[in-house]
Amino acid sequence: MAYKAQYYPGATSVAANRRKHMSGDLEKLREISDEDLTACLGHRAAGSDYPSTHPPLAEMGEPACSVREAVEATPGAKAGDRVRYVQFADSMYNAPATPYFRSYHAAINYRGVDPGTLSGRQVVEARERDMEEVAKEQLETEMTCPGLSGLRGCTVHGHSCRLQEDGVMFDMLDRRRLVNGTIIQDKDQVGVPIDRKVDLGKPMSEAEAAKRTTFYRVDNVAFKDDKEVVEWVHRVWELRTRYGFQPKN
Amino acid sequence: MADRERMFKKAMEVKYTQEFGTNQNKGGSITDKTAKYLRLGYTQSPRKVEMAAAGAAIAKKRGLAAYNPMMHCAGIPLGQRQLTPYTISGTDMVVEGDDLHYVNNAAMQQMWDDIRRSCLVGLDLAHETLEKRLGKEVTPETINHYLEVLNHAMPGAAIVQEHMVETHPALVDDCYVKVFTGDDELADEIDKQYVININKEFDKKQAAQIKASIGKTSWQAVHIPTIVSRTTDGAQTSRWMAMQVGMSFIAAYNMCAGEAAVADLAFSAKHAGLVSMSEMLPARRARGPNEPGGLSFGHMSDIVQTSRTNKEDPAKVALEVVAAASMLYDQIWLGSYMSGGVGFTMYATAAYTNDILDDNLYYNVDYINDKYKGAAKTGTSNKVKATIDVVKDIATESTIYGLENYEKYPTTLEDHFGGSQRATVLAAAAGCGVAIATGNGNAGLSAWYLSMYLHKEAHGRLGFFGYDLQDQCGATNVFSYQSDEGAPLELRGANYPIYAMNVGHQGGYSGVASATHSGRGDAFAVNPLIKLCFADDLMPFDFKKPRVEFGRGAMREFVPAGERTLVIPAR
Repeated sequence: MAYKAQYYPGATSVAANRRKHMSGDLEKLREISDEDLTACLGHRAAGSDYPSTHPPLAEMGEPACSVREAVEATPGAKAGDRVRYVQFADSMYNAPATPYFRSYHAAINYRGVDPGTLSGRQVVEARERDMEEVAKEQLETEMTCPGLSGLRGCTVHGHSCRLQEDGVMFDMLDRRRLVNGTIIQDKDQVGVPIDRKVDLGKPMSEAEAAKRTTFYRVDNVAFKDDKEVVEWVHRVWELRTRYGFQPKN
Repeated sequence: MADRERMFKKAMEVKYTQEFGTNQNKGGSITDKTAKYLRLGYTQSPRKVEMAAAGAAIAKKRGLAAYNPMMHCAGIPLGQRQLTPYTISGTDMVVEGDDLHYVNNAAMQQMWDDIRRSCLVGLDLAHETLEKRLGKEVTPETINHYLEVLNHAMPGAAIVQEHMVETHPALVDDCYVKVFTGDDELADEIDKQYVININKEFDKKQAAQIKASIGKTSWQAVHIPTIVSRTTDGAQTSRWMAMQVGMSFIAAYNMCAGEAAVADLAFSAKHAGLVSMSEMLPARRARGPNEPGGLSFGHMSDIVQTSRTNKEDPAKVALEVVAAASMLYDQIWLGSYMSGGVGFTMYATAAYTNDILDDNLYYNVDYINDKYKGAAKTGTSNKVKATIDVVKDIATESTIYGLENYEKYPTTLEDHFGGSQRATVLAAAAGCGVAIATGNGNAGLSAWYLSMYLHKEAHGRLGFFGYDLQDQCGATNVFSYQSDEGAPLELRGANYPIYAMNVGHQGGYSGVASATHSGRGDAFAVNPLIKLCFADDLMPFDFKKPRVEFGRGAMREFVPAGERTLVIPAR
């Protein structure tokens, strides 16, 4: 029987959602055009060519190398794209994604990505067109609620703040806001105004966010109630601790 | 037990339901999940208004741009959410956040000054050399005379030579030398002004423990002038001490200043018995002794004196150590020596403001006393054996309690706005709790790492890149006995391999090291000499209550040493 990846333990909806993020088995909820995505990311003008840092690999006359033969370059690497980033902040009030699970999603499902995991934000760096592919999937699917998550290159403060009265995650730079029931973004990741108002879609209702979240909360799915996850954490900790002791050596 | 009244309730209400300055932050509950963000900017904070005015005045006076809060985010100033005050944990002192940056807080500076400018040097070797090599008689009377000479000379006064310049006593009035000894008879015969009296400063049990540890040895606790230490560095402390000690022996015992035998005395009196507060660092970090990077968690625990005055409250002892060590290691060592700027203050303040860590640790104390038959009470026979199961149980209970507080009380989550702050607070609570219950520092450290793992899985996040990578790998070195991998927690310090760039952790580790011994009611954590050196009310900074001192500093009530007002124009 072929091995089927299990990804994550746990018997709750939060654990199941974590498995979905890790496996990439995600429901698409909205459409973001390529040009809108490019504008929000803010790395180049929408519709312009990808700037490059080196000629296409095919023109570079690379040396004979078994690793190069075994591992096919990503489209962005082949083209010589710059390495650029996409960075999300996710509210602790049931945003669908959490930083580690955004990282696991990128690292498991994409090649040539460099995910960075912090508490208030999560960054993925990759060749620009490769990064855009990750960003697009994360923005268009159930991984992201436009009201509880945000594209934030800097001044990311908000993940732990109380929500605004309209249920949207606080953003010091006011990059996006709720307008007529939908989230409109008019600044790029670092807060520079862009030439359009990008419709990121409707925020999830409280109930939907609670259903789709990967965050354990005592008022939704309490961490302590996911016995298998707690037991697994204990096992990881105990084995690492005992390994370090190694009295027989 | 989880429904108990939270210790942070009052601090959260002050911070989030009451107006401060002009932040219009009024009403609501500390459990509300939503808030009105008024985006009032920096002008809502009285201190920032004062700072903006100062910045403008400086720019005008010098004709060069200076502090201007509107430079922030290209014109979006701080204060897009409410700017709120901080309650110093364990007190009712409410202060502005800016006043907890060490640059704005004279008490914080003095705490580090008082550590950096201190060293210990033994008297016994010097006395033996005087008697056996130089044929001098050493008696309590000669010792008293020597100490009088030394307290004249140590601040920078001449004692033997002619044609000397001297330091002004009013600039160096914080400099002095006291002595202590485990020999009660000798202590009785030395003039009281010079003596740190073990029997007076410690209770009977702790005094006996100290005297058993140091025997009948005699030591000098030397504090060179703050102004000297600030102008030079920590490595200067023993050198300044050595020069004045050498000259004072020559003067007090009427010795020849040039004979070869004096070289023997010089070594035995100045160097052989030297104990610095911290070790020198390797060249890549380029710091001498008495700089914070070489300060072990055990020494840090011993420098704080709450273990003498609040012996029956082991959690308080640990919390005071957490506060002092977080300030020193995070705000000054990693925050300034190793990097620079403003951000590191926020790692430290989370551990000593708003009673959130206090609440978690006192919850643990109740839990431990209830489940483990009073194991969190001060004592040695009541401790629970340090096993994997005990660590697992207490650390899990502690961490889940703390995590759920952040979930149930959104204001605490907003106060500890960064995962690194939350991680340190939760891990410190778990670590201190286990250490108090078991009397085993490495069991406490083990709880620290389990707390980190549980936290990361519960919230899907922990600290920033460089914060939590150490916590992902640290469990393996907790009980390692190989010298390049493991050490008792008390002997680890800021330059321990995986802790060296470990912002936000070292104050917590110090707290765990302290809790190990505060739970037992020990007189000291690792070094009785260090404990005694600071068991002295003449120090400008009161090491019995660091948190109160930080509050006094923030409220501009603390009077530091080493000021230059005497020799500069009045302003």
